Amino acid sequence: MKHVLRLGTLTAVGALALTGCGNDGNGNGAESAEGLEICYVAAAESHAYASPANAAFQEAAEEHGVHVTLLSQEFDAQTGTDQLRTCIGRNPDGIVLWPLDPQAYIPGLVEAQDADIPVVLINSPMDEDAEGLYTSFTGPDTYEQGVMAAEVMHEELGGEGQIVIIAGQAGNGTTIGRTDGFNNMLEELGSEIEVLQTVNADFDQQRALELSRDLISRHGDALDGVYANDDTMARGFVDAWTESGRELDDMPAIVGINGQQDAFAGIEEGYYTATIVQSPEEDGRLALETIVSAATGEEVDTRIPIPLTVVTQENVADEEPAF
Amino acid sequence: MNTLKRVFESPAVLTLIHYRVVVILIATLFLSVSLVPGLTEFRTLSLSLDRTATLGVVAVGLTVVLLMGKLDLSVGSTLALSGIATIGLQDQLGPFGAAVAGIVVGVLAGVLNGFLVVTLQINSLVATLASMIFLRALCHFLTDSNPISGDDPLFGLTVSRALGGTFSLRTYVFLIAILLLFIWLTYTVAGRRLYAVGSNEHAATASGIRSNRYLFGAFVFSGFTAGAAGVMQSLATNTGSPAFGEATALTAIAAVVIGGTRLEGGRGSALGTLGGVLVLAAITTTLEYESVPTYYQNIVTGSILLLLILLDRIASNSPRSALSLNSLLSFGKRDETPTEKKQEGKVP
Amino acid sequence: MTSAATLPPRVTEEKTANKILGWIALPVGILALLVIGSLLSEQFFTTRNLTNVLINMSIVGIIVVGMTFVFIVRGLADLSVPAMVAIGALLTLSLQPSLGSLVGALVGILAASAAGLINGLFIGYFRLNPVITTLATGTIVLGIAQAAVGGVIVYGDDPALQSFLTGRIILGIPTIVLIFLAVAVGGHLLLSQTIFGRWVYAAGSNPDATKASAVPLNFTKAAAFWMTATLSGFSGVLLALTLQTARPGIGTGYEFDAITAVVVGGVSLLGGFGNVPRAIGGLLLVTLLSNIMVLNGIPTASQGLVMGALIAGAVALDVYLRRRGGAA
Repeated sequence: MKHVLRLGTLTAVGALALTGCGNDGNGNGAESAEGLEICYVAAAESHAYASPANAAFQEAAEEHGVHVTLLSQEFDAQTGTDQLRTCIGRNPDGIVLWPLDPQAYIPGLVEAQDADIPVVLINSPMDEDAEGLYTSFTGPDTYEQGVMAAEVMHEELGGEGQIVIIAGQAGNGTTIGRTDGFNNMLEELGSEIEVLQTVNADFDQQRALELSRDLISRHGDALDGVYANDDTMARGFVDAWTESGRELDDMPAIVGINGQQDAFAGIEEGYYTATIVQSPEEDGRLALETIVSAATGEEVDTRIPIPLTVVTQENVADEEPAF
Repeated sequence: MNTLKRVFESPAVLTLIHYRVVVILIATLFLSVSLVPGLTEFRTLSLSLDRTATLGVVAVGLTVVLLMGKLDLSVGSTLALSGIATIGLQDQLGPFGAAVAGIVVGVLAGVLNGFLVVTLQINSLVATLASMIFLRALCHFLTDSNPISGDDPLFGLTVSRALGGTFSLRTYVFLIAILLLFIWLTYTVAGRRLYAVGSNEHAATASGIRSNRYLFGAFVFSGFTAGAAGVMQSLATNTGSPAFGEATALTAIAAVVIGGTRLEGGRGSALGTLGGVLVLAAITTTLEYESVPTYYQNIVTGSILLLLILLDRIASNSPRSALSLNSLLSFGKRDETPTEKKQEGKVP
Repeated sequence: MTSAATLPPRVTEEKTANKILGWIALPVGILALLVIGSLLSEQFFTTRNLTNVLINMSIVGIIVVGMTFVFIVRGLADLSVPAMVAIGALLTLSLQPSLGSLVGALVGILAASAAGLINGLFIGYFRLNPVITTLATGTIVLGIAQAAVGGVIVYGDDPALQSFLTGRIILGIPTIVLIFLAVAVGGHLLLSQTIFGRWVYAAGSNPDATKASAVPLNFTKAAAFWMTATLSGFSGVLLALTLQTARPGIGTGYEFDAITAVVVGGVSLLGGFGNVPRAIGGLLLVTLLSNIMVLNGIPTASQGLVMGALIAGAVALDVYLRRRGGAA
């Protein structure tokens, strides 16, 4: 499809020649990967997790001599469904899609299949209905993160207690995955943990801070735990807690997700129970390598997870914060 | 300052300013074609248009509201709500019945806005801000903040798939909507009265036009088009999501204004809106093709918007005179042309 | 708009009853909420909760003061607020390591202020439409801010300043609330006691008459937008310093929050009428309502049903009373 040999491709080819086929696993794939055209529909471009993931994706692409067209949905699934079609229209060798909705991309995926373009999902899963329409789903699983968070919370509270959930933006795929995974797992564990209230703080620290003040007024010392859909919002709760004149030592069990620096600091100091860390770099790189394999005709697994690590006081010294 | 003035007063420049929408459109299209290989291929063109169709249909309705000197911020929420109806009622009404229900939801949202603005006399900016917040919350309330999906993902493909190797159904809907709007605004009495009401409501009322009816109708029309866009969007994605359409209202307003419609009312055209939508589509396609980050796209779009309203200001009174240019360059002085006085008194 | 020209100027006498109703509607609403809140939840009428309401108001409150000027001067609304908040916040924390918090904060405010000058120039002197102008400048400024930091979270490291701002130094009132109150009082005095304040009312109530008098219409309008941008930048600085993190999306939605507060306070979009205490009263009402809804477990995303109805109801009442008043 692409007749234009780009300067970037040239330098990348040079780099590839020097390093050889350094990437294990797709040694022969890398050779024919040169000049592949990949269309990447990313979640956003200006975001703490998405930005490093995109950068790693691009970097891995350069190593493979692959040209990437990056389209950013800016967290708007509606934009994303249209961008997926734009991608298909360009007839690339492969498409990487970051789904922000479990369903909305399915008609687009059908078209990609008709056009024989392999699609790899990065970072977030889609519904069962989408199975068979994409080649592989790589990266962490927001639902799985919720499940792990529930396990930690269940263990920390000894199976019973009262908690609140500070969720992200209502209707957002990540929010739904992380919240449903958590609630369903609690049920599966037969946990006696009661969710007193769920609020949406839109992944925003200030919003979480404001809502947490009200939550603390309402539930106060009855709270045994707080589960936040990300560490940013968990931090909002922590600030509201100390602001209310309470001690860090009396803090309810705090479980967040993402593995941010300040969550790590909190875990080290002992007032933050756990965060779940995933590497955005690994996320981006894995997706690129998988689509390259798929585009060069290699067999790939339909599910390639990246390791999710629950960081608690036990292992905080050995892990690296994601950002 | 004098040289600047001379440059601006030269006939060539004034002509350029007069046809600024066309000039910008040609410039962006030219850049797009030279930067994006294969853009002229029919398939690429067809897809670009398909992508912009939803926004375009919303913009058609907004054109009428804006040229009446009003605003409608609620179109994004209306789009989401009618999409939810289109998918959520499929079991009860069947896919076609549900699509009709989606459009009815849009019309009802328009009636709500008309009631707030015309009957209760609330300023349109505030009224549609209220309905934007209300309808968005209604979407979340009805769906419990979870996107809902229809039974048959393939049903909606007809909406977005190219028909017989040409354009997609929704592209045709958009183009036909522009054509109908053009005919309506240019060749019908009702259409010309819209301009009369838009440029001076009281004068229009005094001359026997029922201004309030036209105002009410404009909001219903805008609700109708937003509803239609919501139906197309939800069918194309087989999803009704409470999060759809969050960026739609401001982008659509930007497209309409780039197309030469004035927020003060009384000026605007169907072809201008077509131009505005195409300018945005061309910018997006080109910059995305070059993988330019979205925030640079925002800087470009914002600058074009600013440039066009500035040019509109320069050309606002009579395109061939430099009267308004004088007032622009001699800021600080308080003398004004009579026409400007009238505009100053008008608030959308 | 319709009512603007048909109504006689505000100086004409209104029916006393309507006038009184117009004045007491807001305090009555706030009182009613206090009673309802206390009935619904034990935790509501406590010093701690009411202090929380005040803190929750502070950040947006500073923007509300500026937005009030924009409304009164008949400038419609300033949609560039989120961008100004973002550059204020991002610059403060990105410059903190090299220049320190205070200099960083100053640069942040100055940057927002400079962008506000552009708004003022275009709207006040070039007479561009405020809605579309601030939409455009906001898009550009936010784009630049995102390009500058590449989208990552900027972390701050000044816990001392953070605890000073959120700490309760005088009478148990947090510093940030005191700052907000100082800005509100300053804005109120500027509007009610100075020549500039008179210009603001004059510019908003009747532009034609204003031109005949010695009021610098362009300057006044420009100044209102410059003020709002500067205060938004300041608000962003305070956000960054109290959170010690910042990201480009930090101010999302603040423009509509501020507009909602001003409108619920009964300040008219048609200009020439309203004051800072009213707008702050509107903010208090909205914040109390949201507090009560959270305390009673109403889902966050559905609270807009009440909020939307409140905005429409408040403005409809306002318009009704004024039309009745004008008919007298």
